[in-house]
Amino acid sequence: MIKRTLYFGNPAYLKTKNEQLIIEKQDTGEIISTPIEDIGILILDHQQITLTQYLLAKLLENNVAVITCDPTHHPAGLFYCLDGHTLQSQKHQRQIEASVPLKKQLWQQTVVAKIKNQAELLKQQRIENKYLLKLCDLVRSGDPDNCEAKAAIYYWKHLFPDFLQFTRDRNGPPPNNLLNYGYTILRALVARSLTASGLLPTLGIHHRNQYNNFCLADDIMEPYRPFVDAVVCHIVMMNGKFLDMTPSMKKQLLSIPAMDVKMEDQKSPLMNAVQRTTASLAKCFEGSSRKILYPTFC
Amino acid sequence: MWILVFFDLPTETKKDRKNYAIFRKLMLADGFQMFQFSMYIRHCSSRENMEVHLQRVKKILPPKGHIGIMAITDKQFGQIEVFYGREQVNAPSTIQQLELF
Repeated sequence: MIKRTLYFGNPAYLKTKNEQLIIEKQDTGEIISTPIEDIGILILDHQQITLTQYLLAKLLENNVAVITCDPTHHPAGLFYCLDGHTLQSQKHQRQIEASVPLKKQLWQQTVVAKIKNQAELLKQQRIENKYLLKLCDLVRSGDPDNCEAKAAIYYWKHLFPDFLQFTRDRNGPPPNNLLNYGYTILRALVARSLTASGLLPTLGIHHRNQYNNFCLADDIMEPYRPFVDAVVCHIVMMNGKFLDMTPSMKKQLLSIPAMDVKMEDQKSPLMNAVQRTTASLAKCFEGSSRKILYPTFC
Repeated sequence: MWILVFFDLPTETKKDRKNYAIFRKLMLADGFQMFQFSMYIRHCSSRENMEVHLQRVKKILPPKGHIGIMAITDKQFGQIEVFYGREQVNAPSTIQQLELF
């Protein structure tokens, strides 16, 4: 089921009563109540939001991804629950014991899916994508030739119009800020689904940076990144060089979980697709399947 | 989809009133909101989700009383007209997947 995304950009007091989230708006005094079980992501983006500890505990109990933002309105942190699945202990064990060949094969599938989606996005933007399609067939188990990086170089060079002189750099000039924002929303979504499938978002299949706490989330979100890129592309097309974050841009980026994607010839919202991806990954770790499901553009 | 629950519950004895209070409280905990006295509504994002909440209401029915449960689509619910006296007011809006506060 598609869960709701709530974004708070104004002063508010959040509390809980009767299993509901009660929102007291400070400016109008209006009181709104929302079922906690219907929420998927909750974004806190104002210094004057107050919330109760009991509410936070309830949100985690219902596996809501709570994102807090820093003074520049970029997502800064993510809370997620530690017991998202009844068979968690068993699933974690299987994940830890996963063999190296299995992880390499899973990474190969992930890279292929990512490059395919990148190629599809370039095609939609009417940009030559033959090189990427060729790379797709060359990806070997574990991607030892680093096709992912080769694809990325070509992709970032051609995706945005020339006048932006774009280079992908986390702290670089816009539209990097928009990409970072979108990726953080996506990462929260993936981390939430991974815990719901009983997996540990920390133990990756390819990423293994000792300072990264969300290695597996970073692995699994790779094929989903082009969906964020597509939204940013659209924003760039509309705004040209004026790419400082505005509320309307934020609104577009926050609609990513509800975007339509195609998976096994079925259209579904991106959020549901992520849940199916993580469920199929859990099956791979258990040994009952060898294929992760990834979406394609539609 | 919207679920509407209408009820007439007896309030003669202390026990009846207690049952009524429990039923109302459990409805609220399931995300229902009061639309009028003894009429509660809840929005559900899909038909499957609606089934879940229909089952939950049926599980918490009080021992006595007259209760109606109805599920209608967003489109049908959107055609509702609400008045305070003769003055027309805004009807509850459909829940959006993304909400900005």
